Amino acid sequence: MISENERWVLSFYRTSEISGSLFFGRLAKSLKSGPIQHDMTKHYADEAMHAWYWTDCLNKLGVEPLELGNAYQDQYLAAAGMPVNIMEILAITQVFERRVINQYAVHSRAEGIHELVKSTIDRIVEDEKWHIKWIRDALKNMEPEYGKNTIDETVERFLAADREVYEKTVREHEERVRELIAK
Amino acid sequence: MSSTLSANDARVKQALGKSLKREIGELDDSIALTDLVAESFALIETVINLQEELNIRLVQEDLRDVKTVGDLVRVCAQRL
Repeated sequence: MISENERWVLSFYRTSEISGSLFFGRLAKSLKSGPIQHDMTKHYADEAMHAWYWTDCLNKLGVEPLELGNAYQDQYLAAAGMPVNIMEILAITQVFERRVINQYAVHSRAEGIHELVKSTIDRIVEDEKWHIKWIRDALKNMEPEYGKNTIDETVERFLAADREVYEKTVREHEERVRELIAK
Repeated sequence: MSSTLSANDARVKQALGKSLKREIGELDDSIALTDLVAESFALIETVINLQEELNIRLVQEDLRDVKTVGDLVRVCAQRL
């Protein structure tokens, strides 16, 4: 069994993966065929699988996932404005994926982490590394169209928003995530 | 000039209607986008659809003051 705080955190991950999957699924449907459509479709499928991993993990730990409202990334729009083209979407996704990988790394080092939670994180992180790589490559390939400076500035803008959202989330849920951030 | 703009407006509205699964007649210029597209991620999807369909590129700055269907159509038509 796990504590209510752990249950909330794993449910939070699950909700975030579902939101990511739904978003990328819709985009993958809209995009014209090509390398970005190809990789985004895999990204969408990965996020859906991650949501399934967390659902299964929670069930195996003897609990049901909690139904949570907004996902972490929903708050990005308020903090940074709406991304309106593929470059801006990939930039905000790259920032988000870095946050995800860092968060999973911190959680993975938490004292007393359940083996099942750790193996689920390890499994997901392998996919996340690829997510960061394909987006980095895609942004590089967009430099002739958008300009390197514009892309760098966009990533910086979303990094600032991410810091704001992360600090706000930690403040709001300090009680629940204290065990993780204290490491 | 105005007939060109008008043709472009019609093209944008056609693409918008396709994306939102609405008839062009339902897309009055005065309608607030938030009344047509309830949540933010759906609005992003709509804007991406328009760019893909019309082969144009928009940046965040272009949409800063866009509130209605008419605003969005004008911004997109200017890119055609």
